[in-house]
Amino acid sequence: MKPVLAVVYREYLIRRTSLTWMFFDVMVPLLYLLLFGVAFDRALGTSFVINGMTIRYNDFFLGGVLSMTCFGNAVNQSYGFFIDRDNGIFYEHLTYPLTRGQLLLGKILFQGLMTIAQASMTLLVAVIVLNVHIQLIMLPIIFLAAVLGTAGWFFGLSNVAFLIRRNDTFNMAINASYFVLMFSSSLFYPIDQIPMWLRIPALLNPLTWHADVMRYLTIGIGNGSEIIVQCLLFIGFLFLSFKVAVRTIQRST
Amino acid sequence: MATTNIIEVQNLSKIFTRRKHSPVHALNCISFKVEKGQIFGLLGPNGAGKSTTIKILTTLLPPTSGTARVCGYEVLSQGNDVRKHICAVVQENALEIYLSVRNNFRTFGRFHGLSSKEIERRMDRVCELFGLHEYLNESGIDLSGGMKRRVQVAKMFLVDKPVVFLDEATTGMDTFNKRTTIEAIREESHKGRTILLTTHLLDEAESLCDAVVIINHGSILAQGGIEEIKSMGLQLYTVSLTVASEPAAMLQWIDQWKPVSVTRAQNTFTITLQSEVQALEMVNAARQAKILHQFEITRASLEDAFIELIDKKAGSTA
Repeated sequence: MKPVLAVVYREYLIRRTSLTWMFFDVMVPLLYLLLFGVAFDRALGTSFVINGMTIRYNDFFLGGVLSMTCFGNAVNQSYGFFIDRDNGIFYEHLTYPLTRGQLLLGKILFQGLMTIAQASMTLLVAVIVLNVHIQLIMLPIIFLAAVLGTAGWFFGLSNVAFLIRRNDTFNMAINASYFVLMFSSSLFYPIDQIPMWLRIPALLNPLTWHADVMRYLTIGIGNGSEIIVQCLLFIGFLFLSFKVAVRTIQRST
Repeated sequence: MATTNIIEVQNLSKIFTRRKHSPVHALNCISFKVEKGQIFGLLGPNGAGKSTTIKILTTLLPPTSGTARVCGYEVLSQGNDVRKHICAVVQENALEIYLSVRNNFRTFGRFHGLSSKEIERRMDRVCELFGLHEYLNESGIDLSGGMKRRVQVAKMFLVDKPVVFLDEATTGMDTFNKRTTIEAIREESHKGRTILLTTHLLDEAESLCDAVVIINHGSILAQGGIEEIKSMGLQLYTVSLTVASEPAAMLQWIDQWKPVSVTRAQNTFTITLQSEVQALEMVNAARQAKILHQFEITRASLEDAFIELIDKKAGSTA
């Protein structure tokens, strides 16, 4: 545990030097929720129907915003590998007395704490400003799901960061794929109402699995058995990404 | 006296393969041993395979074949055990650039399992040793290249790992920094730590190392103690001739002795010759020609032996 905590300590010190980064992390999901969510809520009218339940767009969008928070956090943390690699400190880290897995776990433990802070703020704004009724009893599971979501994406994106040597290529690849992943998922809209050609990739998209789980946990929308399957699929994605990342990190030297 | 090998490298090879490129043989079956408490130098020109060797020994790279053990642990299968016994400067200016020097020490100490109290205590000693007190609150990003390097090397002395790897540790340092670093390396070695270093500066290696390995094109050309290396191949001697006035044909005159190398500083010529007899003959001839003001004959330096070994190998493979 000591090596993992050493990584957390290091990440904390680094992040403390750049409050703008932290501000960006917190503000982007909130702005999405407040600007995009509110505008869309108005544009769509007062409510729409999912699984026979009438809900407001803001309520529906909250799960998507939490998923976006996780993805954004994972992008930021995996981008850190480029900074560390350019500074050469990445290679020095790999000579420290910790396993490659512990290095990744330490990073995600810190980022998980950041995710919990951001998710708390997002939920607070959703409840206070947008009057979203969340299931308070689910709060610990919401936080756990948010951390697991960040972890899954972080391990997946770390693989991309290790394989791509240039940060501009990484940025372009992530921006392009995020765009596709976002709009071929249930982040902004329910997928049973989109065309079939888009629905299939959306069903196979881990962002859909995670957003649906977050939505189920926050406002109780969704089919319980489908949610369990999506949950298991995402955990499978997380473990696979972790396994591959541990191997890729060694090859990246 | 019984000796303990703290590093054992046996038939180590590394081949880099890239799609659409022919494979690069970075290391070809190299073997060497480092005894506990030695300062051991890996010497060789650029691209010789020194850094690849260090990367394998510090578990950054897996070898293609062969074995390497550090403190009894195999680098490939017991990587984490190896890392528990080493600390390494493997990359130029590797520093947490957004952190202060103080926090660089703190994170490094934490990674190596030291408590906060212990880090503060040791940091004081290391800062004293490397003259870093006034830079403690500076960010890594604001330090000069030489200072970054100094902090990077200083970190290695914050912890008590038995083996220290230093890849071109003094690169970019000014004379003062370099001297401080060399003194610190010596001091740590006297405490029983084993230091494996690479350097381009052969005079530095000569003054620091107990034993060296000379590598070129991934193969070992020579290994042993400094004196042993110097006496390998040809028996080189250096003649330093100071002439009263520079005769126009001096260089031509020197050429008749077929020197290994000639350097000139004002009226002093430093000539490396292939035998002691040649050296004596040259001084005698200079005396008879009445061009000699002052002379000195010494055994050739490590640098001379190094150049000779590299040239000899190149000649034999040509």
